[in-house]
Amino acid sequence: MTMKNPLAKTAVLLAGMYVFLTWILPLFTAPLPASLIYLYLALTVAAAAIFYTMSGAGLDDFMGPIGRFLTGEGHAGATGTARLVVFALFPLLVGWQTYAKLAPSDMPPAENRTIHPAPPGEFVGLANPFPRTPGNIATGQGLYAAYCSPCHGGNFDGKGPASVGFNPPPANFSDPGTIAQLQESYLFWRIKKGGVGLPVEGMPWKSAMPRWEKELTDERIWKIIMGEYAGAGQSPRTWEEEE
Amino acid sequence: MGRERIVNVALGAAVLAAGAGAVPALADESTPAAGAGSSVSIRLHLTDEALPGADPYAAAWDTIRPSEFQLAPQVHWPDRIQEVTVKSVKVRGMHNGEELAMLLEYADPSEDAADAAALEFMVGERKAHFAHGQEMLQVEGGPVNIWYWTHAAGNAVDMSAKGFKTLRPQTQQDVSATGAWRDGVWRVVFSRRLNTDDARDVRITPGEWTNVAFAVWDGQIVDGAVKEQGSQKAVSSWWYVRAEPPPDASIYGYVALGIALAAGFEWLLVRKIRRGNAA
Repeated sequence: MTMKNPLAKTAVLLAGMYVFLTWILPLFTAPLPASLIYLYLALTVAAAAIFYTMSGAGLDDFMGPIGRFLTGEGHAGATGTARLVVFALFPLLVGWQTYAKLAPSDMPPAENRTIHPAPPGEFVGLANPFPRTPGNIATGQGLYAAYCSPCHGGNFDGKGPASVGFNPPPANFSDPGTIAQLQESYLFWRIKKGGVGLPVEGMPWKSAMPRWEKELTDERIWKIIMGEYAGAGQSPRTWEEEE
Repeated sequence: MGRERIVNVALGAAVLAAGAGAVPALADESTPAAGAGSSVSIRLHLTDEALPGADPYAAAWDTIRPSEFQLAPQVHWPDRIQEVTVKSVKVRGMHNGEELAMLLEYADPSEDAADAAALEFMVGERKAHFAHGQEMLQVEGGPVNIWYWTHAAGNAVDMSAKGFKTLRPQTQQDVSATGAWRDGVWRVVFSRRLNTDDARDVRITPGEWTNVAFAVWDGQIVDGAVKEQGSQKAVSSWWYVRAEPPPDASIYGYVALGIALAAGFEWLLVRKIRRGNAA
């Protein structure tokens, strides 16, 4: 049996899109948020409606079944019952949605943390004063192992033995979205001043990053930065690339 | 008629799919994530009964589903610790409009005199750093109120801090606590009035969110020394607590209004189409 009715085709297309977006797409990439799936489905419906209602005949084909369903014309027996069930369910769904929006929730207010806020002016554009020699890198990696790896991990992946339970979690330096996107001067600021040095949008009251200037000299911090990039297999962002 | 039937089935399926899709979408928005250590808040359940403030094993506690929060070693400032005994805490709470009780539950293999646990709250409008409200460089922070229970004392001390080395017991003590260790599990219940007349205390107002954090010390003696004490402890980040507000009957009015509007819309739509067809 071939389906000629445009409404039925739209419904099948919609179901196919839902299955694709919900179950098939996540096999290849991160799952989509529910709100985005509904947006895509709404766009599918809108596109189908425009496509099928371009002509008068198409409009009748598309809207006719909907109109007959709503008025009950030609609906007897089982389809008549189905029609009444749909009519009864719709107000209940609206009522339930209203309740869900108004009922007391255990979800606290949303917090929008800026992960890499702008550093204070005195740190912008600082360059690592130490040459990138094997000796300096080795010194930096030794210091990293002692001071940083418990949280940021021996593999530079943010999964050190003490990392579990922190919110926000320790940064994963092997991720191309962290230190590879930043300049050495940015790391110097974040290591030196720690979580408490963040501006308000960085939510300094939550970060467990120590204020290392209390315990480490500038020289040691610069060498740690060198060892961190080398160990994570990343390169710092430089001014040249910005232009 | 076969075509009509297909259309009807498709329409029904679409309505069902929309409904089924709405269920997980709504659930995601209104309940905290389930699973070990992934809660974001604690609800202090409103009750008419007397609170089990002195009994960590009262049956009333088992009627409440606990929130669970992971703990991390305190690595923020010296003296650090790299590994801790207690990895997570389960927290339950209730209030009766006057007083509140919060139950901390965690696994600790041994009962030791130096075992201890604490709740920390932000006080006032300003955000406080979770490490005893220590100084933040670009943000003016606020103080914290800490309820510190020790097994040795058998009670809690009501304390304040704003920065390192400022933690002091308050002159006015408003908190009490009782702990009981059974089969490798500590249960410690803290109680206090929702509001005190002490400006250094956290104010718990039903319906309003307050930041809370947790700390636990394993007082086991290892090689002649207490394993975890002072800054060497298991800590959590800031999470949220809210005392459940009194039930608001107006919600049901809005629900009824929503149902009436939807039904009215259906009726108007059908009537308009029928009139259009008749014309």
